[in-house]
Amino acid sequence: MFEWLFSPMAQSWLIQGVILTVEITLFGVMLGLGLGTLLAVGDIYGKKPLKAAIAVYVEIFRGSPLFIQLFLAAYTVPTVLNIRVDHALMAFLVFGLNSAGYQKGYVKGAIETILGDQMQAGVSVGMSRIQTLRHVILPQAYRIVIPSWTNEFCSLTKSTSALGYLGFMDLTGAGIAIKGSTYEILPVWIVIAAIYFVWITSFAKLMDVVYEKKKIPGVELLMAS
Amino acid sequence: MVDNVMEAKHVFKTYGKSGKKKQEDEQFTDKEHIVEAVQDVSLKIKKGDIKLIFGPSGSGKSTFLRCMDMLEIPDKGEIYLGDECLTSKGVDLCKARARIGFVFQHIYLFRHLTAVGNVELALRQVLKLPKEEARKRALDALAEVKVSDCAFRYPSQISGGQAQRVGIARALARNPDIILLDEPTSALDPELTGEVIDTLRDLAKEGATMLIVSHEMPFAREVAEEMIFYDEGKIVETGPPSLFFNAPNTDRARQFMTRIINRTTR
Repeated sequence: MFEWLFSPMAQSWLIQGVILTVEITLFGVMLGLGLGTLLAVGDIYGKKPLKAAIAVYVEIFRGSPLFIQLFLAAYTVPTVLNIRVDHALMAFLVFGLNSAGYQKGYVKGAIETILGDQMQAGVSVGMSRIQTLRHVILPQAYRIVIPSWTNEFCSLTKSTSALGYLGFMDLTGAGIAIKGSTYEILPVWIVIAAIYFVWITSFAKLMDVVYEKKKIPGVELLMAS
Repeated sequence: MVDNVMEAKHVFKTYGKSGKKKQEDEQFTDKEHIVEAVQDVSLKIKKGDIKLIFGPSGSGKSTFLRCMDMLEIPDKGEIYLGDECLTSKGVDLCKARARIGFVFQHIYLFRHLTAVGNVELALRQVLKLPKEEARKRALDALAEVKVSDCAFRYPSQISGGQAQRVGIARALARNPDIILLDEPTSALDPELTGEVIDTLRDLAKEGATMLIVSHEMPFAREVAEEMIFYDEGKIVETGPPSLFFNAPNTDRARQFMTRIINRTTR
């Protein structure tokens, strides 16, 4: 059942798979957070055309299947434009762009809960709006966003399994390859699922610790009152 | 050379009643929905002046004070800081605000920073002081308002009176030309207002230039050179405290003073 775990071939696929999955999820959520923050700020302060463009962007990425976004970016777009690109790089970008569509909402919500008085205070001491965002608003907003961001991470990690079916050697791709060479089905998926589980759970637990550590003393009491 | 620290010339500011700012492309034609918070208000403040604005709530005092710091942009009129016109186009408002201290009624400390962090931030980001110097100046400012013991505590861990003194230290630390204070004691418990008033009294002794919106009458009597009675968006009467405490010229000021004095002695 599990003898294949000792085969060097299967081991090397699994290692490749873990590396790609970890890289792509970390890169995806980080790019998503950075881009999501820009989109949130643009949506709050931008003029109407910018807001409309942001809304279109968000709806396209939230409203269409990730699998198709990946397929278009990795295969169709390079073919149509007749350019040679690294497929993995395109996949990285799609996860970042897709995650930004979701994270924009989390960041915008967090910014808006703290914007009013804190922006006035920041501007009153002579800082620009951008300085105030950078030094006052975002440090508070990111603290609020951590739990939603952790959820986004969990969800994004599992979405990366679409890569395996597009021919990438991520964890799911490794599973498909091992399955093809060993004819074991259930045991392979059990192992793959366990690896996803360990990765997601340990990262989520780590973020819980960060969330507690970064809490502003006394502020949760203020928010409840 | 202008010897005024700040001057307001014929300032106007109008709101929709919902509190909504008037957009350029929309008109509040319906009279019911217009609040004329500031109507043709002019004011001069010289170095070392302490002026106190008082009047009924909702009369637009705070809006006028916020216009002085350009936290609200006046619809019409000019605001001068020294000889620089803040209401003309292309003025660097950040630079101007760096020279003006503002103290908020509801304090508005940066919640994620300790007391010293609150004072330090502008010194680092606006005045671009090196870390050690900013820290030293921030601690000095906290010592000046006697809250050194709270320096490393967060806003939610200190009392309202302490927090407001940190707010004053934050406004003071840049050595501003003037400090604008918007009802600095009215959000505090009565027993905490005393410590904030003491701080303001110390500042007055040191010759700070201040424009204060407040109803702390004993304090006004003691430190203000001029009191300004403000009602329905206009300056109704100005004069030294002795005028208001004895015999104001206008009926409205007289009624208001009677009410306020009765309230405090009752």
